[in-house]
Amino acid sequence: MSHKKYTVINTPVHNIDGVAKVTGRATYAFDVTLPGMLYGKILRSPHPHARVVSIDTSKAEQFPGVRGVVTGKDTLGIKQGIWRRYEELCDEQILPLEKVRYIGEPVAAVAAITEEIAEKALDLIEVEYEVLPAVYEPLEAIKKEAPTIHEGVERNINVTRHIEWGDVDDAFEDADYIREDWFKCSGQHHMCMETRGAVSSFTPEGKLTCWTGTQSAYYHQGLLAGVLGLREGDVRIIAPYTGGGFGGKFELDAAQFCSAVLSMKLHKPVKIIFTREEDFIASKRRTPMFYYVRTGVKKDGTFCARESRMFSNGGAYTGMGATALYLTGFFHSFPYKWRGYRYDGYRVYTNTMPSTSMRGFGAPQAMFCSEQQIDWICADLGLDPFEVRRKNGHTEGYEVPGQAFIASCGLEQCINEIENWVKSKGKLPANRGIGISSCGFMSGGIFNWFDTPYSFSSAVVTINVDGTVEVHVGCQDIGQGSNTTMAIIAAETLGVKMEDIKIHSGDTDHCPADLGAWGSRQTLMTGNAVKMACEDAKKQLLEFAYAEMGINIVYDLDIKDRWVHIVARPERGMKYEDLVKKALRGKDGQRIMGRGYYTPHRKGMISPAYSYMMQAVDAEIDPETGRIKIHEVMTAHDCGQPINPLGLMGQLEGAASMALGYAYLEDMPFEDGKMMNPNLVDYKVIRAPEMPKTPIIEIDTYEPEGPYGAKEAGEGLTNPTAAALGNAVFNALGIQMKELPISPERIRKALAEKKAQEAQK
Amino acid sequence: MINDFHYLKPASVKEALAMYAEHDDCKIICGGQSLLIVLRQGMLAPEYLIDIKRLDELKYIKFDDKDGLRLGATTTHREIEKSDVIAKKYPALVAMEQKLASIQTRNWGTIGGNLAHADPAGDPGPVLIALKAEIKFGNAKGETTVPLDEFFVDYFETKMEHGDLVLEVHVPAPDSKSGCAYQKFNLLDSEMGIVAAAASVALNADGTCKDARVVLGNAGPTPLRVTKAEDLLKGKKLNDKLFEEAGKIASEEAQPVADIHASEEHRRHVLGVLTKRMLKKAFEQAQKAA
Amino acid sequence: MEKQVLRLKINGDEYEIFIHPKTLLAEAIRDYVGLTGTKRGCDTVSCGACTVTVNGMSVKSCSVLAVQCEGMDITTVEGLEKNGKLSPIQRAFLDHGSYQCGFCTPGMLMSSTAFLDELGGKKPSEEEIRESIEGNICRCTGYNSIVRAIDAVAQGNYKEE
Repeated sequence: MSHKKYTVINTPVHNIDGVAKVTGRATYAFDVTLPGMLYGKILRSPHPHARVVSIDTSKAEQFPGVRGVVTGKDTLGIKQGIWRRYEELCDEQILPLEKVRYIGEPVAAVAAITEEIAEKALDLIEVEYEVLPAVYEPLEAIKKEAPTIHEGVERNINVTRHIEWGDVDDAFEDADYIREDWFKCSGQHHMCMETRGAVSSFTPEGKLTCWTGTQSAYYHQGLLAGVLGLREGDVRIIAPYTGGGFGGKFELDAAQFCSAVLSMKLHKPVKIIFTREEDFIASKRRTPMFYYVRTGVKKDGTFCARESRMFSNGGAYTGMGATALYLTGFFHSFPYKWRGYRYDGYRVYTNTMPSTSMRGFGAPQAMFCSEQQIDWICADLGLDPFEVRRKNGHTEGYEVPGQAFIASCGLEQCINEIENWVKSKGKLPANRGIGISSCGFMSGGIFNWFDTPYSFSSAVVTINVDGTVEVHVGCQDIGQGSNTTMAIIAAETLGVKMEDIKIHSGDTDHCPADLGAWGSRQTLMTGNAVKMACEDAKKQLLEFAYAEMGINIVYDLDIKDRWVHIVARPERGMKYEDLVKKALRGKDGQRIMGRGYYTPHRKGMISPAYSYMMQAVDAEIDPETGRIKIHEVMTAHDCGQPINPLGLMGQLEGAASMALGYAYLEDMPFEDGKMMNPNLVDYKVIRAPEMPKTPIIEIDTYEPEGPYGAKEAGEGLTNPTAAALGNAVFNALGIQMKELPISPERIRKALAEKKAQEAQK
Repeated sequence: MINDFHYLKPASVKEALAMYAEHDDCKIICGGQSLLIVLRQGMLAPEYLIDIKRLDELKYIKFDDKDGLRLGATTTHREIEKSDVIAKKYPALVAMEQKLASIQTRNWGTIGGNLAHADPAGDPGPVLIALKAEIKFGNAKGETTVPLDEFFVDYFETKMEHGDLVLEVHVPAPDSKSGCAYQKFNLLDSEMGIVAAAASVALNADGTCKDARVVLGNAGPTPLRVTKAEDLLKGKKLNDKLFEEAGKIASEEAQPVADIHASEEHRRHVLGVLTKRMLKKAFEQAQKAA
Repeated sequence: MEKQVLRLKINGDEYEIFIHPKTLLAEAIRDYVGLTGTKRGCDTVSCGACTVTVNGMSVKSCSVLAVQCEGMDITTVEGLEKNGKLSPIQRAFLDHGSYQCGFCTPGMLMSSTAFLDELGGKKPSEEEIRESIEGNICRCTGYNSIVRAIDAVAQGNYKEE
């Protein structure tokens, strides 16, 4: 058994922010009000591609109640981007001076004494545009004759990525059977319940404070300071509670930037909250991808080679899209051993809203293609889909050549559990099928594209005289419960109770830098920092206990449940509270402080650790209408040691709801660069009556790199569902769904094609 | 942003109608579940708003074995949904209400407001027409009653003119051997139908079809009665083949408009499927009825 | 257009505010009375984050005019606790982890409270529970933990303190 029995870890503790959230006390940037605060609104480009010839703000400035208007000329004109390490990827100037590149791009911002006045004033801003030809699809944008979106970027190819190992062509030679398919993966919107928003306040001493929902207070501090010409230390980011992130809230957005620019001009606090429509059209979305996949296998199902080419719709700017480009290519090989593997990814600029990170980070798209094709290969060759996956799956100790080392892997157990579950379902009625998908995911990334000089995660732990503990971390709780996870790790390590721990996060003035909540990194990375800091503090404390208790040198002391004791003779000890008092006195009245930090070193190209899972989706389709009903989603999951079981369940169920949405409900159709459904009537998010049961089996493994053996659980679970639903449809109706979302019309079309093909035979 | 308006709160229907006649640029608000969205989008900006939400005069559910069901205009959807007598006598109405928007909307929105809004994708219209309902509306001068299928004139337009207020919906007593069923096609259970179909069937003593109604939702500018399909069934011994044929007719007669949610072809096809299924369901109900 | 005095009873307290009649109940509660527990997440009456109860009925406060609620009993999330004691559904949410980012939570709690109060002791089916929160979108939890919490209260596992 790798999963040990812990005092606090893996027990059903309440989320430490729970009372605030269930009583309405939790405040978000949405709720922040400051004295003298103005309300800001943003004027947006109606054109997908245009030169900004002139902007006349005079009428707006004179409108009663308006206090100021800003455009690009009120900024330093800096092109920014989150990939700070590569200048050419810092391509987005918020409030551009020369050109707009997507419908909805901000061109001006107004601050007024009421929101209504600010909105009315927008109509008075006169912008002269020179409309330019636009292009919306990546396969059109790479053509020679396509309009150039960023000067100097040939064929609109923003970034390329190449991943290769083994002798791919040789491996294909060796294959008995080769299959190739094209897939089209849609975008998706984060659709956080709290839209983007910020309150910025620039004060006469030259300091900026910005209250905003964020996945990383540190990133926003650095990005804002960079574009405003301030020192990072002169920018304070305060993250009140954040109403969801899912990958969409750690880049600089117009709410933060425009409110800051307005505040710097007017020396008053300015609040900008996006409407739901603005949030939809003028943020960044999951990357739509065109995937070509060619796979060669032996007739017994052993994988030989895979070669993939992917063109993604990057939209107007880079954002985090460069990372998604790499990760999709990497996880497209997951979780299998390939003799030869080659991926070429092309991120292409288009005149649509930029695409960026979204939960799963390119892996849901990658799995949709890979896992379905594997099932089709199995069907072509008469092989068992479970056996083929087991045969080729990652194992502990495997090295993905040049990319990653797998130190813990529960994949085989996951496959076994799901196989048993599917078998237990027996024969299903007509038009009903179960589809499977396995996958794995990163526990945080190793690549320093933000170019930070700081440790990726840090923690400071201070013990007060009464035994309560202050834990200062830079990780960001966006609802996934990282505050609670850190409190659990701290309580377990120090040997105290949850109620003794106070977590400080979300304020750059008081918390250490941390890369924040993305790539499912915080449990492993910040968790390691917290563990290290608490071990440091505990060691200092125990020095006093050793002195106080005068025990034999061969004995060890530890603390559990506020009881400092000899490990071999736990009945002998002293109270933790008493020890703390003595330690403080012994340190000249100074509190015990511990420091911890973590940065992955020599961990390959992607991540220090990987989760694994297999998921099965039980779905029923009405063949006459194409309507889908999801009966159940069953997951077998390896996240190493679970830390927060309630949180883990929440992550699984939440991921499933978002991933199901990606699979069959959510879509972002564009027409001439305009998003056609920027509201919650036409953009369909799953609701309670449609949400199926989502049982989970946790597989017992231990990840040496993770705190107490833990690794990620939250993003990986978004990866398999679209593929599993596709396979369920294949299982039920024998049709292959190569395009997302799996809609009723696409199902009917595929059924009609199948019928026509069969008629021909 | 909603434009400012003068807010008027009449104490009686008579006062409301008088106010309505007095002001040219005014709208009636009751539950506001449809109106407020329109006002917020700036599509309408009336100078006066007359609030009839608290007119209990118009809030009633009355049933009589001979006369049938009378619903006051300010009766909420939730009251209809929870009515024992409606559940017993017109279960299709309750079933429709259970899937209409969400509970919050049903708690505040009213049947009169829904019908006055005249959204062809609205749920009550097709079901009530299938149940042969008529609607009474009136103004300061008098009242008019018309069959509900004649009430809707175009997208969001009814026979009512300025000064008219919906007063009551009257559903005749159901035939002894009758049934009614409604189904909308959507991705999420309670959203408006991409398309929808309501069907009612009444049987003669010998089991042949005495009467039938087929009404399509979101298949044109108003709820669409497919009389051609109805005529096909009248007097006949009903079977699956006839339902299929009726579905085909409905599919052809419909005037659905494509949008991002579905093409015209898919809408027509599904309308045919829904019509076939709802006719069969209504028929089976009628057979089981006493 | 003229503003008017409006008296609203919220969580048992009487408030007097001065508003344009076009003010939505959500705006009255949040911006005029200052109770920011009730949230807003959309412009199309879709998300349910603004749900409060009026005379015990759940309504989306973004689609109700404040003036229509004079004389009615309005309850917001702040009114669920009594003298620092959480209501059964609030405690059930804590035990079941029925929230993550918390933005939809006030609305969810109000829909759940209205549903449980209407039940009057009857035991609901899972379908009925899911239907009771159909009007509330949650992007984080996947709903199932919320359903479990409501069910636990409906089964009588939580008594008023």
